[in-house]
Amino acid sequence: MERKGVTRRQFIKYAGATAAMLGLSEAFLPEIARALEEMTSGKPPVLWIQGQNCTGCSVSFLNSNYPGVAELVLDKLSVRYQPNVSAGTGYKAMEAIEKTAEEMSGKYVLVVEGPIPTAEGGEYCTFGLEKETKDLLGNKVPKDKPIYAWMQELVPGAAAVIALGNCASFGGIPAANAAVTGATQVSDIVFDIDKSKPLINIGGCPIHPDWFIGTVLNYLYYKKVPELDKYYRPTLYFGKLIHENCERRASFDAGLFLEDWNDNNPDFKLCMFKMGCKGPVTYADCPTRRWNSGVNWCVGANAPCHGCAEPSFYSNFSPLYEPLPNMNFGGLSPAIDTLGWVAAGATAVGVGAHYLYKQLGKKPEGGEE
Amino acid sequence: MAQLISIDPVTRIEGHMRIDVEVENGVVKDAWSSGTMFRGIEMLLLDKHPWDAQQVVERICGVCPMVHGTAASYCLDDAMDVSLPDNARWIRNLMLGSNFIQSHVLHFYHLAALDYVDVVAVTKYAGNDPGLKALQGKVAGLAAAGDAYPFLPRYETNDYVSDPELAATLVSHYVQALEMRKKAQEMIAIFYGRMPSFVGTIPGGVTVQPTVGNIEIFRARLSELRTWIDTVYIADIMTVAGVAAFAPFVTAGDSGGNYLAYGGFDLNSAGTEKFFARGVIFDHDITNVKDMDAAQIAESVKHSWYTPECEGLNPANGKTEPEVSKDGAYSFLKAPRYDGKPMEVGPLARMLVLKPPALVELAQKTGALDAKKFGILARHAARAIECKILADAMAGWVDELVPGNPIWDSKGKDIPDSSSGAGLVEGPRGALGHWITISGKKIGNYQAVVPTTWNGSPRDANGVRGPIETSLIGLPVPDADNPINVVRCVRSFDPCLACAIHVIHPEHNGVAEFRVF
Repeated sequence: MERKGVTRRQFIKYAGATAAMLGLSEAFLPEIARALEEMTSGKPPVLWIQGQNCTGCSVSFLNSNYPGVAELVLDKLSVRYQPNVSAGTGYKAMEAIEKTAEEMSGKYVLVVEGPIPTAEGGEYCTFGLEKETKDLLGNKVPKDKPIYAWMQELVPGAAAVIALGNCASFGGIPAANAAVTGATQVSDIVFDIDKSKPLINIGGCPIHPDWFIGTVLNYLYYKKVPELDKYYRPTLYFGKLIHENCERRASFDAGLFLEDWNDNNPDFKLCMFKMGCKGPVTYADCPTRRWNSGVNWCVGANAPCHGCAEPSFYSNFSPLYEPLPNMNFGGLSPAIDTLGWVAAGATAVGVGAHYLYKQLGKKPEGGEE
Repeated sequence: MAQLISIDPVTRIEGHMRIDVEVENGVVKDAWSSGTMFRGIEMLLLDKHPWDAQQVVERICGVCPMVHGTAASYCLDDAMDVSLPDNARWIRNLMLGSNFIQSHVLHFYHLAALDYVDVVAVTKYAGNDPGLKALQGKVAGLAAAGDAYPFLPRYETNDYVSDPELAATLVSHYVQALEMRKKAQEMIAIFYGRMPSFVGTIPGGVTVQPTVGNIEIFRARLSELRTWIDTVYIADIMTVAGVAAFAPFVTAGDSGGNYLAYGGFDLNSAGTEKFFARGVIFDHDITNVKDMDAAQIAESVKHSWYTPECEGLNPANGKTEPEVSKDGAYSFLKAPRYDGKPMEVGPLARMLVLKPPALVELAQKTGALDAKKFGILARHAARAIECKILADAMAGWVDELVPGNPIWDSKGKDIPDSSSGAGLVEGPRGALGHWITISGKKIGNYQAVVPTTWNGSPRDANGVRGPIETSLIGLPVPDADNPINVVRCVRSFDPCLACAIHVIHPEHNGVAEFRVF
């Protein structure tokens, strides 16, 4: 460790930060330190490709606070291809991907940002070129390579696939136009290729950097996929309802709702429910983890949670600024003004919320969210 | 003999882009720029609640969601005829400005710098700076392990900055810049909740009231960034621009001399006074800035994958209907034209319209002014100078915030039965326009013309190339295996392809041999 220019003390401090991110007790520190050291000597290769993405998840990844991005990219991982970071372009980038796929088969982590369009032979999203394509006259033509074709090539050799962001995980915003492009969530493509392939969905539009990095570190530490919920999300980050941990929960219970942004005394912390908050049906740890080095989060900015970590985002949560429909708490259908009281008086909050979640989050058979 | 070089993927940009160049005798003779991904954001907004628009269009791009959300807010403000409170206007300016800072820093250090600096040269560092020595050790370790990703592989060229001292300094700034751009995103989270995909701007205003607390934590980060921009970013740009081998790039990569700026950062509530001026320049005549008239904008789709019904329309009543099997098309970027001409947008266009003394001085010194050509390095310099003057101005805007004063006009909540609106703003990459039509209280039509649609546009109905295509012509490509100058030029525009689609079928006329990479 000393030879890497890191003191024991710094390393333990780092391991402590990592432990906190993973939600582990300090008793694990020595083991984490050992695992981290292992991974620094044999860094896992990562191939990161982009489908119908917006690069928001890559940018959010760059916002990682502890550990920082330079440390992750240079010390912890071997990032063989990342479209926004890699020096290589054109065929040089292709070479890096192909070499990794060949030499590191079974070892690399495949990160996919954005869904995979399948309509029109996958031509709604391409990167790189197919080498041996010929046109009708027999001329060699540099044909674009669909992300769909890349998936067929790279999924079989991947140790695990991480669908990064809401749209890779569940279709998200591009899937709202799936009728045209055939935008398909990554898991459907992966399980079509190999039903047993380890797959992790990191929801969120965008991802929180900790959700992704913590999952990767968790995977490296335990050498297996962390505990996942029915949507293949790590329960570590997506196990709790925003509403149950919201700093403004007291306002909800007291029926104090924000209705005019000018009335909002900054000290009041009014509930955003009437402005369309999807916190009651969204599973994510935003209230406690917060965003951008812990500076703030959506509800902290007097804005509703839009439910961006849920399979229902975006289409099934539209209109975003209208209150959730059919709030039905244990058979009661209270007017919104009294809703908070009812919820506070009954143990129905959890029940009601889970009930709602089942209603809204329900996945239609064989269809896109 | 001419060769066709196809470069795909163009990395270190936003999105999916392919560049084809025809090279003859070591010089680019013709060029095609293609967007290779399509989602159809505009289509999916049809019949949605108008308030959804800004949350959805932010997701057009994760690098510049700020400018889309801001344009959408102004567009919806316009459609709902709100009077934007001063606090809201200043907060929107500060948030957009913060994203300019993060975007420009990210662009130079993380997207562009690796085209100019030889990272491996850091291993030869011989100085005594402890920070640089630590960096040297790290790079040496990576190189020794044969695992120098993501810095290698790369195009090889003999004109990378290879002086170990200078290379080590620049690479250490690459690492510093990661922290700096992160701080700029934290500035956005203070008022807008988080970044990317922020939530703090709404039709009629913003959601967070200024308080002494949030003003001060914002100001602290801004001053730290201003110091860094002045002492590191600007200095590095001047250093790179001063490298003898790069001197030709001051003028090489000129896009044709037409520049367009919508203007941005409203300094008064009427929006008549803007920090970045509005204006149009034709044929390099930079002393003759003309008024901008949005009615002069029309989009050609002759070479784009859209139905002929989308041809020649002003975006206010534009159409986005894909047709992937269309003959002669090679991009899903449309080809917007102003008064029939392709226009470069972005920091260079804005700075040529505004002409801050620092830029004029530099243009004189480097000879760009006399040559009347503004190329690759002119774009980088304009971006850095813009970043500085904007960050300096923001320090004054913070003082305009008044705790307790309104932040929202509740008229933003009253959706008219039918209405229309336009939001024209400046984003880090250039002029951005959003247009909405509301009918039956729902979105009847939504169109966005993004900066890269201007810069990266394909040929139009008259066969005239887009600005990036034009800028590539004449660039030296001495080694067809390493077309570094092509990507240097493309990246100088800071392209953001997220709204584009797929291509192929370049016009192969006169090309005797294909090189397929």
